[in-house]
Amino acid sequence: MAETAGKPLDETELESLFSAARAEAPDPSGALFERILADADAQLAARAVPTAADTRPRGLFGGLFAGIGGWPAAVGLAAAAVTGLTIGVVTPDTVDSLSNGYLSADWTTAEDLMPSYAGLLGES
Amino acid sequence: MALDALSDVSDEALLVAFGNGDREAAQALTLRLTPRVLGFAARMLNDRAEAEDVAQEAMLRLWRQAPEWRQGEAKVTTWLYRVVSNLCTDRLRKSRGQALDSVPEPEDESPGAEAGLQQEARAKALEQALQELPERQRQAVILRHIEGFSNPEIAQVMDIGVEAVESLTARGKRALAANLAPRRAELGYEDG
Repeated sequence: MAETAGKPLDETELESLFSAARAEAPDPSGALFERILADADAQLAARAVPTAADTRPRGLFGGLFAGIGGWPAAVGLAAAAVTGLTIGVVTPDTVDSLSNGYLSADWTTAEDLMPSYAGLLGES
Repeated sequence: MALDALSDVSDEALLVAFGNGDREAAQALTLRLTPRVLGFAARMLNDRAEAEDVAQEAMLRLWRQAPEWRQGEAKVTTWLYRVVSNLCTDRLRKSRGQALDSVPEPEDESPGAEAGLQQEARAKALEQALQELPERQRQAVILRHIEGFSNPEIAQVMDIGVEAVESLTARGKRALAANLAPRRAELGYEDG
């Protein structure tokens, strides 16, 4: 039988081996299914993190408010507005004296506001 | 049940649904694809525990890919088998040298007349013979003749040309046929 035992398998015999392998495929364990589904759940949870705060309807004002940076930016804007209003209404003396100085009648031409050429050369 | 209703939905549609937050789609894909990737990995690695790790890692990569999945570009199974293939290749490279020692010796058992036993014996014999093939031949033969992929699909999975696939499967089958020849009587094939 030595010569027949050495005869390679033919196509039909090989196909029957492949067919047996397909039928004997390993079954995944319940634990493996659970591990894979736990991974899927973790992915869903990771993607769902921002939903609680961000999915609430905000309206036009809410959108603009969020667009400028929310409460921290609003506080800064409010402080700047109050400061500007105060300067406009109270007109502190310092502002008056500065503006009067610049608008005094002694300065009649643009040249008066410019430093002299000699001054630039350090020959005062 | 909802999962039954999903049995007719394509892999791609389920993956997109999961990418949009549908957990039932993930359940359906897990039940459908896990046995396939586990079977492929087990045949490539000949190690059940390693194959389970590979199957889990491949499915995790699928979940991560879901939100960015580009419809119509690739088949989900082709993409997934490619991931499994790469993971198996990495593990085989790391364990090279130990692999040959871990291949079990052919069991000296007579399958007898029962068809179930014979089928089991044939599957085991093929599994052992597959482990003796070079890695690329083994992969091509498994994908073509056990997993049922077409040659162009195998070319995509293995990132080679179709002609190379044909060559690998042909050489692999010839080697299998020769390596299993001494066991033909044990496997229930006639000698003549």
